[in-house]
Amino acid sequence: MITTSGLIETLLWGVANGCIYILLATGLNIIFGVMKLVNFAHGQLLMIGAYIAFAAATALGLNAYIAILVAMGLVALIGVGLERFTFRKVLGTEKLNEIFVSLGLIYVFENVAVLLWGNRSQQIASPFQGLQLSLGEVSIGYDRLLAISVVIVILIALFLLLKKTKIGLAMRATSQKSTASMLMGVNIEKVYIFTFALGAALAGAAGALYGIIFPFNPSIGALPTIKAFAIIILGGLGSIPGAVIGGLLYGIAENTAVYFLGGIWQDAIAFALLIIVLVIRPTGIFGEKGE
Amino acid sequence: MNRSLVNSLGSIKRELVNFSHSQKFYFVLVAMAIVAIVPLFVRSDYVIGEVLTPMIIFAIYASSWNLLASSGQASLGHAAFLGIGGFASALLAIKLGLPPLIGLFLGSILSAAIGLLIGLACVRLKAWFLAMVTFGFSVIIVTLISQFDSVMGGIMGFPTPLLVPRGVPFYYMTFGFAAISILIMYLVMKSKIGLTFRAIHQNELEAKMIGINTGKYRLIAFVLSTFFAGLAGGLYAQSIRYIQVSIFDPYYSFLPLMMAVIGGLGTIEGPIIGSAIIVSIESYLPRIDPVLQGFLHPLFPSVSNVGPPLRMLGLGLFLVVVVIFAPKGVAPLIKKAYNYLRSSTSEEKT
Repeated sequence: MITTSGLIETLLWGVANGCIYILLATGLNIIFGVMKLVNFAHGQLLMIGAYIAFAAATALGLNAYIAILVAMGLVALIGVGLERFTFRKVLGTEKLNEIFVSLGLIYVFENVAVLLWGNRSQQIASPFQGLQLSLGEVSIGYDRLLAISVVIVILIALFLLLKKTKIGLAMRATSQKSTASMLMGVNIEKVYIFTFALGAALAGAAGALYGIIFPFNPSIGALPTIKAFAIIILGGLGSIPGAVIGGLLYGIAENTAVYFLGGIWQDAIAFALLIIVLVIRPTGIFGEKGE
Repeated sequence: MNRSLVNSLGSIKRELVNFSHSQKFYFVLVAMAIVAIVPLFVRSDYVIGEVLTPMIIFAIYASSWNLLASSGQASLGHAAFLGIGGFASALLAIKLGLPPLIGLFLGSILSAAIGLLIGLACVRLKAWFLAMVTFGFSVIIVTLISQFDSVMGGIMGFPTPLLVPRGVPFYYMTFGFAAISILIMYLVMKSKIGLTFRAIHQNELEAKMIGINTGKYRLIAFVLSTFFAGLAGGLYAQSIRYIQVSIFDPYYSFLPLMMAVIGGLGTIEGPIIGSAIIVSIESYLPRIDPVLQGFLHPLFPSVSNVGPPLRMLGLGLFLVVVVIFAPKGVAPLIKKAYNYLRSSTSEEKT
């Protein structure tokens, strides 16, 4: 049955889910913008982030929301290793090589997770588990509200980093023209490492939030990657405001589709959006130039 | 259009004549003769049915992926076409009572038709987007297919109708299909069409500038590739007895890429060598699983069998290492070793 409160709830849930995907898509977008690299294993970084937060919360007894910071830090470190030892070696060679490397990494991450944590589904225990905020007939879990606020804080921090700091300036310069910024004295290699670590940290945060809201297992990474792609394409490749708006639109579209059409459409909607936007407007809604 | 087609066919014919005079031709004849007489020496049903036959089927499948990649289009969702070919050929034979051979052929045509649709969506897209769309397609199709469990047989699947009995006859049949398919793909890749594919792969903009209708050729690559992927799917469905939705698993999209890249991307022998390597690993490495489990279990207590994840981890690492350190695959290495051996023996003679 379709009710107003049901609709509002659907929208709120959509925004909360969208927030997680915004983080993932922004990370992918920053990496693409600066390095012109598409990392297909980005969803696996989300999965690893969820497991790291889970391990920090269970083994160290940390609060689930503090564990987000642990996940961000460690996944950023993994990102440094990835950039240094795999992607840097193929950057600038054939485009297909980057795709192959990231595909190999998908299998590496998924199976490392299986070996370390097993195949069972897990969920990070949050202090607010099961608590609902009720306003009239509309109710939403505290965890979802907190996830939205965490994402807003991270996005503001990211915005300040990109606009107000020296490294942010270097990243923006590199994304516009890497050779010119190299001539202006920007250390491109450092910028690349920092960018990849930053993108990975965002994926780690997304993973920790995902693990608080949804149960997860080692093979959950693939679908979030596709959803992040859909969001990026919706918002335009390389545009961060586009990723935010695209992520909100996507989360709402996904939940509305589930509400009206049923659960099977939850995952299919990402692909449908991907195809429709690519066929009608390959540069995305907010994208400036086609790639 | 007609004229260019006639030209291409002419170049294919010329290539066929050239090929039959080349040294490579004798090498291929010897290799095919070896494949043909293997069943006379190998009596094990397991080796024929579970190792050599899949090797041949995956050689077709990996070659079909390789053909598409030679036009610069790396599909990350080829399992979709393997599955469509497999399910369509089996369902047509069972539900409509068509002979399995017709089912196999129609399944491949259906796979090519869906390949055409996906190709149309991808025709303007660059490598990343194409990879995203095909990757998305392969993940989403699993979700969609599982909604039709009544037709698809769910997780259990259903038995597939056979063209010829399993074992040695089936081995020879797949060998025949593989020989014809790979010959066709070889001729296409050596003809003007293949040259155009490579031109598009190297620089699509320049290819467009010299007047190549890049969209048309990218579609040709898509249709040919998905046709043979569907054929491989139909054969694979027959060889594994039961066809299940697991055939759409992303793992099956990863395999042909892995085989082609490890063997040697863009070469005709690469996917065949890659298929031999990967299928051997997948068939024989599980035998050491109990040993591994014995001394690795204390390290990884949450896994009931450490073998499969370790193997997949190894394959993933293998792919990354090959792409970074041997981007042309192992085929050139084998060739180099062969040349080195030959030159060192001829030096001894003089």
